[in-house]
Amino acid sequence: MSLETTPRILAIDAGGTMTDTFIINEKGDFIVGKAQTTPEDESEGFMNSSRDALAYWDMTVEEAFPSLVTGIYSGTSMLNRLLERKGRKVGVIVTKGMEDYFRLERGKQSYLGYSYSDRLHVCTHQHNEPIIPRSQIRGVPERIDVFGDAAIPMDDDAARRAVEELLDEGVEAICVNFMFSYRNPAHELQMKDIVEEVLSARGVDIPVTIASDHYSVRGDFPRLNTLTVEAFAAEPSRQHLRAIDARVKEKGAHFDLRIMASHGGTISIESRELARTLVSGPIGGVIGATWLCDHIGVENVFCTDIGGTSFDLAIITGGEYDVKPYPDMARMLLAIPLVEMDSVGEGTGSYVRVNPTSGRIEIGPDSAGYRIGTSWPEGNVTTVTINDCNVVLGLINPDYFLGGDIKLDRERALKAVQMQIAEPLGIDVYRAASGVVELFEESLKNDVLSRIMGKGYAPINYTLLNYGGGGPLHVGGISEGMGFERVLVPTWAAGFSAFGCSCSDFEYRFNASLDLPLAPDVSPDEKEGLVDMINGQAAFLREKIVEEFGKSGIDEDDLRVRIAIRMQYMGQLRDLEVRTDFEWLDGPESLDQVVADFEVLYAKVYALSARSPELGYLITQIVLSGTVDVEKPALPEEPPGDAEPPPEASKGTREVYWRGDWLEGTIWEMEKLKAGNRLPGLAIVESPATTFVVPPGSSAYLDKHRIFHLEWEKEG
Amino acid sequence: MPEYEKGTLEKLMDGKLSWHETKSIMSSFKDPDRFDKYVQILQDRVPYDDRILLPLALHLNIVQKKDGARVVKCDCGHEFGDYQENWKLGALVYVRDSEEKMQEVYPPLMHSNPNWIVLREYYCPGCRTQLEVEAVPPGYPVVFDFKPDLETFYKEWLGREI
Repeated sequence: MSLETTPRILAIDAGGTMTDTFIINEKGDFIVGKAQTTPEDESEGFMNSSRDALAYWDMTVEEAFPSLVTGIYSGTSMLNRLLERKGRKVGVIVTKGMEDYFRLERGKQSYLGYSYSDRLHVCTHQHNEPIIPRSQIRGVPERIDVFGDAAIPMDDDAARRAVEELLDEGVEAICVNFMFSYRNPAHELQMKDIVEEVLSARGVDIPVTIASDHYSVRGDFPRLNTLTVEAFAAEPSRQHLRAIDARVKEKGAHFDLRIMASHGGTISIESRELARTLVSGPIGGVIGATWLCDHIGVENVFCTDIGGTSFDLAIITGGEYDVKPYPDMARMLLAIPLVEMDSVGEGTGSYVRVNPTSGRIEIGPDSAGYRIGTSWPEGNVTTVTINDCNVVLGLINPDYFLGGDIKLDRERALKAVQMQIAEPLGIDVYRAASGVVELFEESLKNDVLSRIMGKGYAPINYTLLNYGGGGPLHVGGISEGMGFERVLVPTWAAGFSAFGCSCSDFEYRFNASLDLPLAPDVSPDEKEGLVDMINGQAAFLREKIVEEFGKSGIDEDDLRVRIAIRMQYMGQLRDLEVRTDFEWLDGPESLDQVVADFEVLYAKVYALSARSPELGYLITQIVLSGTVDVEKPALPEEPPGDAEPPPEASKGTREVYWRGDWLEGTIWEMEKLKAGNRLPGLAIVESPATTFVVPPGSSAYLDKHRIFHLEWEKEG
Repeated sequence: MPEYEKGTLEKLMDGKLSWHETKSIMSSFKDPDRFDKYVQILQDRVPYDDRILLPLALHLNIVQKKDGARVVKCDCGHEFGDYQENWKLGALVYVRDSEEKMQEVYPPLMHSNPNWIVLREYYCPGCRTQLEVEAVPPGYPVVFDFKPDLETFYKEWLGREI
């Protein structure tokens, strides 16, 4: 391509080893660049990666950047800082008696992120190194009780001593987290004043943060974790982000860089809650799916992302994804909203072994990741992976992996599968490889089914959207016999997560715990009172949203603010998020509306007959989100043509071992197929970044947006 | 199947592997040759030549004597006698059966009531190494920890004659 193209959107994904840059033009075409991540100054790796991408369009960074309208960053540097415990020296002040919180932690944190077998294997559980050493933690006598009353007044002298001692320790920031401060922040505010007094008396200037101001939510421990992570790891990362933002502007860009945040929106690098950008990569796909399906008029989507190391699943119902209020990251429970998704340790790089005790095939949970498998000699992998089996079966073209940049050795894979799988099982090598792949797909299928049925939904009402580098190869296997409404595979499946990041709104989302009981016999006056309390809290959150947008120079009038209420039946344990179309509650009627919506939602998620309003409801949290419109990518548009693919798209045929038989599969080049083309199975569509397999008994139709529809023949 | 270097297993035994490495060994399938490598490391470390048949506890192994006897032997070379007899009967013993003795090893109020539970510590007569501690009610018979069936273990688990 030439200068005729206008780059519009930039998405950066800075991983631990590689930085990917994704640039989209006005037509929705995109290019992907890769370069080594440079941890000392991330802007370096980012620039290299951008240059690598723009080379496809024969452009320089200086030519391309001025036409960009938006740029989104997601990366793992903050996560690494947390994992390596390399952050700022933070002092923590807690309610006296709670000083050992980080050492005791919640038991769950000792096995977070483990495989199912290790969760049961108790001797593998291990306490984490506390992110703050005990010497930097002080307890202050005080107590707010569960009703928000001061049960024990705060000891000002002890408070002052605590601050003095922490400053003597040389801390660079102070966090305060008192019990039940979300109920009543009085003591935390008092503590903040004392800290500031001591600081000014000493002539020291360090930041002080209090939990009730940042994370006014129930859940003492996740709240403390989040507050501390923010001070410990997020602030140092801000410096990196500013450097990248400066580099982008220096090359002529006219926008402020934004970061993908866990709640599914993007936020400014100046946001005060950067901790929620800790994990952002995998949710990009869900955001992209939401946006894509909104554009093609699909409401219920089941997202499946098959990568090298994991299989990620998410459900979009009625055009909206779910949000988890207390997710975990880096083996810590946090009090930040995260787009709800599940991750299973099974990807195309997962190791395959025969269990010596049971003689059965086991897949994962560990994987070769980017090292592919034994079929890539340079990767030094000795254990068979799913990729290897795909190579053996002829599904993956060993000479066209990553467009031929990486040459795979089929003989090597054959030998490894023969020795490690086929011989111990006493079967033929192809039968073995095929069995492994069937088992892999069967297991993914179970994951899909359990998620969808577990929520009380059925596949027939859902569209299966499949992406990730390994997705299109296995989509046939996981959709066969499932009865999904339709099965979609975008031609840009491999870059879908980065694409998704660029589809996200500029959005801040804040929540606060309320725990307001709503009795079944509540009087209109009491209801009025509840509405006032909700609106009061909403006003507090709204101020935060306006302040955050203010940092990007966005006016309050341009915001679209929406309130959502998280509530549950009184006495139950799980709450649901009821979204609304209004900014605040307008009298008791709108509260009635929320309750009615809750009943409907509950019946959908669980069961109609499981509703139990006898004891009333509990309003647990209110959630306020503010968004502004930003530039989004365009979907490719191509007038549909013939069903017959153009001859130049054909790459001939190949022998493929399919479930016990050798079949002749037609091979196609993905980029050369035209909208409207239909490929009957068995067909294999190759592109540099992925391989799409159309199984026998199905066909694939390429629509005008360059999305494949995998259609199964009706079973006779 | 995983296979580890002898050096890795030595570090594992000495607690010198990082948690990350230890966890990865714990979560993998058992390396099939672990027993032999493990015994080999122990054999290299003990000052005697008698063949170790089975490690019994820290510092204690069941060894095969030249004359065919199978005895429990301490790292220092002290022999406790036939492995089918409880080696503790030939050990030195120290019983903590008073508040005062308990508080030599526990903080006050953090130990058992010596009227109910006593600690019996067994020491090697050869090198005075502590070999085992029992927490038992006063007067309880000496516990016989482990009487292995060596022939069956070798035949059915290791697949060879002893």
